[in-house]
Amino acid sequence: MGLVQREIEKAGIPTVGVSIVREYTEKVQPPRTVYVKWPFGHPLGEPGNIRQQRAVILEAFKVLYSSTTPGEIVDLPFRWRRYDYDSYAEPKSLEPIRE
Amino acid sequence: MSQRFKNQLIAKVITRFPGLAKRFIDAYEPWASGEPTPWTPVTKPLSECRVALVTTSGVHHKGQEPFDMADSAGDPSFREIDAATISNDYVITHDYYDHADAEKDLNIIFPIDRLRELQDEGVIGDLAARHYSLMGHIDGHHIATLVGQSAKKIVERLKRQAVDVVLLTPA
Repeated sequence: MGLVQREIEKAGIPTVGVSIVREYTEKVQPPRTVYVKWPFGHPLGEPGNIRQQRAVILEAFKVLYSSTTPGEIVDLPFRWRRYDYDSYAEPKSLEPIRE
Repeated sequence: MSQRFKNQLIAKVITRFPGLAKRFIDAYEPWASGEPTPWTPVTKPLSECRVALVTTSGVHHKGQEPFDMADSAGDPSFREIDAATISNDYVITHDYYDHADAEKDLNIIFPIDRLRELQDEGVIGDLAARHYSLMGHIDGHHIATLVGQSAKKIVERLKRQAVDVVLLTPA
C-alpha cells in the first residue's frame, strides 16, 4: 500500500494512510501514517461501530494537517474495545499550518 | 488441500489470534525503493478538499474481474470503484485476511459511508465519484507493474477528478 501512496504523493497529491502492520510501514516509508494495533481486516475498527471508524478517519486527517516530517508514523491511542469512542473529541475543521 | 484454501484458513486463524500473526508478518519483506520519502503539503482547509480512497483490501464490484489469487506474487492490477453503488454491490477477493467482518460492514476496510457523512457535515469538501482498489502483498516482478503502471494510472484518474487528498486503507 505504501508504494502506491508514495507514487500519489510524488505526483503532487497529499496522502495519509492507515497501517495495521507497523514493520511494513517503517520499511516502505510512506509520507504520513496513523498506526492501529488491531486485527488484520479491521483498519477502521469493528462492523457497525461508527464512532470508532470516524475516530480513525479523523485522526488520519489530523496527521495530514499537522505532520511536517516525511515518513512519520503516529501511533493512535485507541485500544480496540477498551477505548470509549464516545469520549473522542472530533475535530470540526482542519486547516493548513501557516508559516 | 489447495494453496488458496490453506491461505484462507491461515488468514482466519491469525485474525482471531493476532499473536500468531508475527510469523506471517516476518515472512513477507516489503520492497523499499531507498529513495527519499515524497512530500506534498496540504494547502487548502479540509472543508474545501475533494477526498478519494485508495485501498489494498481487494474489494471490487461484483461485475469486475476478481483479483488473481493463484499467483503467489500477487495481482498488481487495480479496480475502479463507483462511490454511488459500492455499498450495495461489492465482493472481496483476498485470501490473506479474514474478511467476514468486512462483508458485514464495508466501512471497516473502505469507509465510503463515513466519508459521505463527513461530506454532508461539511468536514470534508466532497467525496470523489471514483475510488481505487488493489490487493496488497505484491511481490517479485509484479512490483514494477504496480509502481510503473497501476499507480501511474490511478494518479492520472485522481488528477482528472481534481482530487485534493487521498486516504489509504489496508486490510
